Amino acid sequence: MSTTFDRLRAMLIKDYPSTPESLTSATLLETLGIDSLGLAELLFNVEDEFGITLPTEPVPLATVGDVVGYIDALVAAKDQALTHDAVALNIGTAPSRVS
Amino acid sequence: MRRVAVTGIGVVSPLGNNSTEVFGNACAGRSGIHRLDAPYSHRLIAPLAATSSFDATQHFDAAKLRMLDRVSQFALVAASDALADSRIVFSDVDLGRAGVFVGTGMAGTQSNDDGYKTLYGDQSDRIKPFTVLLGMHNAPAGWMGIEHGFRGPNLTYSTACSSSAVAIGEAWLRVASNSIDMALAGGCEAPLSFGSLKAWEALHTLASVDEKDPTASCKPFSKNRSGMVLGEGAAMLVLEGWDAAVARGATIHGEIIGYGLSTDAGHITRPSIDGQAAAMRAALQSAALTPPDIDAINAHGTGTQANDSIETAAIKTVFGEHARRLPISATKAIHGHLLGAAGALECVLSLLAMQHQVALPTLHLKSPDPECDLDYVANVARDNVAVRTMLSSSFAFGGTNAVLVLRAAS
Repeated sequence: MSTTFDRLRAMLIKDYPSTPESLTSATLLETLGIDSLGLAELLFNVEDEFGITLPTEPVPLATVGDVVGYIDALVAAKDQALTHDAVALNIGTAPSRVS
Repeated sequence: MRRVAVTGIGVVSPLGNNSTEVFGNACAGRSGIHRLDAPYSHRLIAPLAATSSFDATQHFDAAKLRMLDRVSQFALVAASDALADSRIVFSDVDLGRAGVFVGTGMAGTQSNDDGYKTLYGDQSDRIKPFTVLLGMHNAPAGWMGIEHGFRGPNLTYSTACSSSAVAIGEAWLRVASNSIDMALAGGCEAPLSFGSLKAWEALHTLASVDEKDPTASCKPFSKNRSGMVLGEGAAMLVLEGWDAAVARGATIHGEIIGYGLSTDAGHITRPSIDGQAAAMRAALQSAALTPPDIDAINAHGTGTQANDSIETAAIKTVFGEHARRLPISATKAIHGHLLGAAGALECVLSLLAMQHQVALPTLHLKSPDPECDLDYVANVARDNVAVRTMLSSSFAFGGTNAVLVLRAAS
């Protein structure tokens, strides 16, 4: 199963001058030509790729690893919220109705 | 005021992407107009366009391309070509006194169209982050300044069909008055989005398809003219002080010697004899010339019923009997109407015509109109014409009329 890093790396290779070998968690975004404006575009595409909605507040992200951590935190928060909703609605925990 | 030389020319146009190609096609009357083969063509009443042969991936990497609407792509390529043509050495230039002056009527209309489609058509809120930057009118000029490090005035003019004539004229004023040393000046337009084409169609100014020959659908000054055909592209000039150009041994393509402006202040679309005549007179006055000093005109000549008869009357008003001795060229017949880039492309064609002593033809003029009874150089180019001084006219919706006065290089 692809990790968050693998999926993000695939996105970066497609859109920015880079190779799989050159990208690590420590790679600085600015070395890929991603400035604050470029980050807005990257995060827009991240939303599509990972099915998440980013908060509007700016977050300091300097490296590929920072972005991976940010995505993982948001995905975890989303999963937790979904689980919470499911429990609250009793979805998936109620006994099946037997006819 | 000092003399101003044109030392660089760059073009992306339906007639080609360099001066030689553009001028060759214009002389031969090879039309850049054709049936538009687009996914939405069946929804257009007259699917016609003058497209430029242009592969953006040959000029920009993927990351840069995502920041550039087609209109900025055209502008950047034309600007780079103009600077290369000028052979100017950047280390000799005070970039703080180098300006950018760009005309565009519709700017990044394709990007705006894409955004509207997402929002209203697809019912999605996923508008791309760069939509504003792609669509804004000063994006082409901004990118040109960034690309070449020009830190002087960076100005965008949007006066519809006269935008780039205004841009060149305003740049000329600043170079002539010594407020800057050099300028990149011209225009760019990429108006062939579905939304733009439908909007123009709704105005009833576009030509109907000539079924026998779609490339001949735009017929300026002909009795059977039915309107204009939209075109895309860019044309940029390098302007610099004459003495500086001579001192560095530059090849001088010609000289801008005057610029006249007027406003119809009458109707938002209907042209005016008085307004057009006033701009021509202002241009002559600016160049300290009288009507007999002009050898030829590149007309606005859109191929609409309204413009061509009024422009003819305006020329007669200004030039009197001399009007009948003037070769008048309407090159939109083959490159289409590039709207905000039209004046710049026609300025380029005029400079090349003077260089080669040619009167460019007005194509598809087969049906004489009593209201258009001047010498339009019908259908065939005229060689060995003594053309040293020309007007290039651009008249616009909104009423801004701009006329440039050009002189062959001495």
